[in-house]
Amino acid sequence: MKAMTEVNSVGSARKSFDPIFERGLKFVAILVMSLLILIIFFLYQLAAPAIHEYGWGFMFKSDWNPAKLIFGAYPFIHGTLITSLFALALSVPVSIGTALFLTEIASRQVAAVIGFLVELLAAIPSVVYGLWGLTVLAPRVRVTVQPWLSEHLSFIPGFSGMPYGVGVFSASIVLAIMITPTITSIAREVFRAVPHAQREAALAIGATHSEMIWLSVVRVSWSGVFGAVVLGLGRALGETMAVTMLIGNRNEVANSLFSPAQTMASLIANEYPEATNPLHIGALAYIGLILFGISFIVQGLARRIVNRVANPSGGGA
Amino acid sequence: MKPIVEAKNLNAYFENFHAVKNVSLAVPEKSLVALIGPSGCGKSTFLRCLNRMHEEIPKARVEGEVLLGGSSIYDRKLDPVAVRRSIGMVFQKPNPFPGMSIFENVVVGLKLTGSRDRMDQVAEEALKGAALWEEVKDKLKKPGTSLSGGQQQRLCIARALAMKPPVLLMDEPTSALDPISTAKVEELMISLKKSVTLIVVTHNMQQAARVSDRTAFFLMGELVEYDESSTLFTVPKDAKTEQYITGRFG
Amino acid sequence: MNPADFQISIARRLKNRFVILLLIALACVALIPLIHVLHYVYAQGLPHWNLNFFTELPKPVGESGGGLGNAVVGSFFLVLVAAIVGVPVGILVGIFLSEYSRSALAGWVRTSIELLSGVPSIVLGIFAYSAIVVPIGHFSMLAGSFALAVILLPVVAKTTEEVLKLIPSHIREAGLALGIPRWKVTLRIVLIAARSGITTGVALALARVAGETAPLLFTALSSQHWPRSLLEPAASLPVQIYSFALAPFEEWNHLAWAAASVLVSLTLVTNLIMKWATRSRGESR
Repeated sequence: MKAMTEVNSVGSARKSFDPIFERGLKFVAILVMSLLILIIFFLYQLAAPAIHEYGWGFMFKSDWNPAKLIFGAYPFIHGTLITSLFALALSVPVSIGTALFLTEIASRQVAAVIGFLVELLAAIPSVVYGLWGLTVLAPRVRVTVQPWLSEHLSFIPGFSGMPYGVGVFSASIVLAIMITPTITSIAREVFRAVPHAQREAALAIGATHSEMIWLSVVRVSWSGVFGAVVLGLGRALGETMAVTMLIGNRNEVANSLFSPAQTMASLIANEYPEATNPLHIGALAYIGLILFGISFIVQGLARRIVNRVANPSGGGA
Repeated sequence: MKPIVEAKNLNAYFENFHAVKNVSLAVPEKSLVALIGPSGCGKSTFLRCLNRMHEEIPKARVEGEVLLGGSSIYDRKLDPVAVRRSIGMVFQKPNPFPGMSIFENVVVGLKLTGSRDRMDQVAEEALKGAALWEEVKDKLKKPGTSLSGGQQQRLCIARALAMKPPVLLMDEPTSALDPISTAKVEELMISLKKSVTLIVVTHNMQQAARVSDRTAFFLMGELVEYDESSTLFTVPKDAKTEQYITGRFG
Repeated sequence: MNPADFQISIARRLKNRFVILLLIALACVALIPLIHVLHYVYAQGLPHWNLNFFTELPKPVGESGGGLGNAVVGSFFLVLVAAIVGVPVGILVGIFLSEYSRSALAGWVRTSIELLSGVPSIVLGIFAYSAIVVPIGHFSMLAGSFALAVILLPVVAKTTEEVLKLIPSHIREAGLALGIPRWKVTLRIVLIAARSGITTGVALALARVAGETAPLLFTALSSQHWPRSLLEPAASLPVQIYSFALAPFEEWNHLAWAAASVLVSLTLVTNLIMKWATRSRGESR
């Protein structure tokens, strides 16, 4: 019979390629996984001289003088946190507001267009923001916003001092622009995950549109929004080029939002290409390692929150 | 007549759930056998044991034997992939491959299993066999997903026929189609059984009565009754069969 | 019942109006920088677009004219080499995550991919420096491409996984039922079905990577010459923007703006094309 012979004739093709294919994929996947370990390993290798010299205390020392080979990371950790947190403070209201606008107010077509434009914000290269910030933003901020703030809000710590233009303030504004699309898109996903029935329930008890947004969307989304904000923070911490061009590059702890400072990323960008002494390179790599560690923790935390909230079943939206 | 497909004491499991219980059933060559029963009765699982698709589900396993033309398809020396080339399958939802043209959809099975000769001719034969040729012969380069639901299902039948299988399994092939497309596919089934053995799972008893030579009634994983369709639908031997075909449950 | 009972209080109505206007205003605030940056970049950059920009080397200080041809070519090859390494590996990892997602390993790989995509690009620059520049002994295009590939990889893997997961499982079953081995079903049927989605993701990732500056600063470095070898330093558009933006020569500043507008056009065009492509696909369904 025909069927029989067909089955048996191919029966000899028992040796399947499938297990080999699967093993190959696994191998590549493990290779990629080990990249993380390799990154730590190679950074550690470079950083070893500085780690042996300074130990953990490195993070709390404030002096940085490559000429005298004295290194301490505190001003840069401080600078990174200050710029990132101030950027968050600027970006969070705008991002959350935009996300609510996109999910709760805009029609589908409007949301598609505005959503796309917000995504475009993330597509513009960091160095272009830096160029724009340096030539447009910083000079204007110096003669307008900064003098006004230091005149009227100087009672708030940080809002005083000489307006330089370049410095924490300008860097944070550009950072805020750059992380807005990140926070907006995650927050949007979180708001979208709220079941439609919950919105209708609020409207059914006579809530106005804005009350409905508050009652059924915002109040149940706190943890997801928090995750979005933390993810934005993670992006801000490691952002390099725009900050490098705008922060003013002063290796001291900033005493005002207007003063020039230095972040971990901008310090590396500025000094690494010229560093020759192994201890100098080591100190910079050590800072790279600290930056890696901080963003590792922040991103890991944010992903856990966001993954749980935005897609509890594991499926993408 | 000598059976072409024969299940002997077949058992199928999903992890701990016993889905098919000790079923033995012989299908005569070039006939159409319908498998009916309420949902969850094991008829689809049974069908999927006949081309070793059941084992693609994680933690699923099969015991017993299935003979195709007298030789076991569960032979340890056989690759399930090779078995499936001799037994075609059509699914509940039309599922032409996205990103492929109508022509590519028909010949992809041959192309990816090694035989690349006379593709044009094979495609034409298969599409004619599936009664789709006249409708698509001028747009073979169009994507398969651009066809209507009923055409897509016939494209899937053509895709299976291109492999020239002696047996074709169909898992509720018309349940996602409108009545007109359903009628076309039923017509096609009747003409196909002149050359191919068809085993069709259906939730539609009228369909089973219309197209099949023999019908098997499944309940709770067991084969309750298997007989000539004319007999089963008029003078069923089992009380449960009678209750089901008269619409008292299911 | 009094019709007035159906009226909501003026205070609530005003509050409602205010909140909605506020949200609209915030969305506008988010878009102002985009419009301003785009407008400014083109206003400054477009006047300096000419053939020389793409065909000539930068002129020394004091001379007028010149271009960034070497940076255009350099960026192209940096991204090309990064893509040759990063895209196939990324796709393979994406396939693994989607098609073999049941294995315990997949969870670990998925987490590492997410963490990898969060590593600051400047840190990846140090990594590439340490892994490639140090052993070779000098800066090279290869080291820059390597850093870019590491940035590319998790993005491509993630997109591939997401797109493949959208392909319904009965498509895979149909392939298996034809007697096609699983690996061929994956590569020749599922991947084909996901082709356009993956292409979109890869194109967007490449456009993004083309604008990366930080990881190139001390890997590919920069150069005054045309790129000749993978093992030599090479100029790139983003690094040229950075160094020419800070330079005190007007001619170089002009080149920086021209380069910025080229880079922005690249990402704009890619994003628009991909948006258009995915939209027309969505409508045909």
